[in-house]
Amino acid sequence: MGVPFKRIVVYLDGSESSMSAIMYGINLAKEHDAKLTAVYVVNTRALSELVKAGIFVAVERDEYQRDLQQDADRYLKHASHLAQQKQVEVETVKLEGTVHVVMKELLKTQKADLLILGGVTDIRSRREELASETDRMMRTSPCPVLVVRDDDDIWLEFEA
Amino acid sequence: MNVLDVLDKNLVKVPLMHTDKNGVISELVEVIAKAKGYSTQQFDEVLDAVMERESLCSTGIGNGIAIPHAKSDAVEHVSLVVGISRLPVDFDSPDGQKSRIFFLVLAPKSEASAHVELLASIARSCTSGIFRRMLEQAKDSEEVVHLFME
Repeated sequence: MGVPFKRIVVYLDGSESSMSAIMYGINLAKEHDAKLTAVYVVNTRALSELVKAGIFVAVERDEYQRDLQQDADRYLKHASHLAQQKQVEVETVKLEGTVHVVMKELLKTQKADLLILGGVTDIRSRREELASETDRMMRTSPCPVLVVRDDDDIWLEFEA
Repeated sequence: MNVLDVLDKNLVKVPLMHTDKNGVISELVEVIAKAKGYSTQQFDEVLDAVMERESLCSTGIGNGIAIPHAKSDAVEHVSLVVGISRLPVDFDSPDGQKSRIFFLVLAPKSEASAHVELLASIARSCTSGIFRRMLEQAKDSEEVVHLFME
């Protein structure tokens, strides 16, 4: 672990709060002169679950997988664009699989010293607590985790 | 994205009035159309998209559950309508069991991730037989919402 942070990883899932997370990560990387990586995981586990449950047919799974790949490309491109605005270099990484599992592996191989997450909401039911990928990432991350609140201040500060 | 992110008691109907597959799908689309103030064209677009998906293979998944779903740019964001029927409806489920619990999931094409996550969340929620029985017996929309909040 390095202080100040030298290798920062931001997890993107397309939510508004993950956009706050990348903005926060860009500012932090600039401040600490850290290497920044933005990661999007195409959740192929969820697709497999849907086929197994009989909700998706095979042709539908393939179609949604293509849609998810396009989502990933769009959000990673947006992350690059935001970083460019602040003259910060960002490496974008697109992965596939079970989100918390592939993230844990990436954090290890990148020797990340900070994971930035958005989208941690209050636990509203017992079922939700067991299913949240963000929660699992927090619990299984091999490095410290910073949770960014979906805060207008982050957007305002970034755009300042 | 999970069920609680989009569950809205105004998008829950208990009981459903129709007793056939096409009637139930149409009734679920009517619920969201009424709540969101859709035009006739939006209603038709959503219904056509759901029916087109249904023509690929029935979305009756067994254990008394059906999850009709579709991508449609007629909806602004990922949306969920829940319907509970007092009478079992034949939805061509693989286990031959008729359905009483219905989840209509709609999403614009640009929200594929959230769409997939919501469907997976529904599938996980309904793995419990006790939970399914409680949903089937829910008296009104508030009770359905309450059950998901537990």
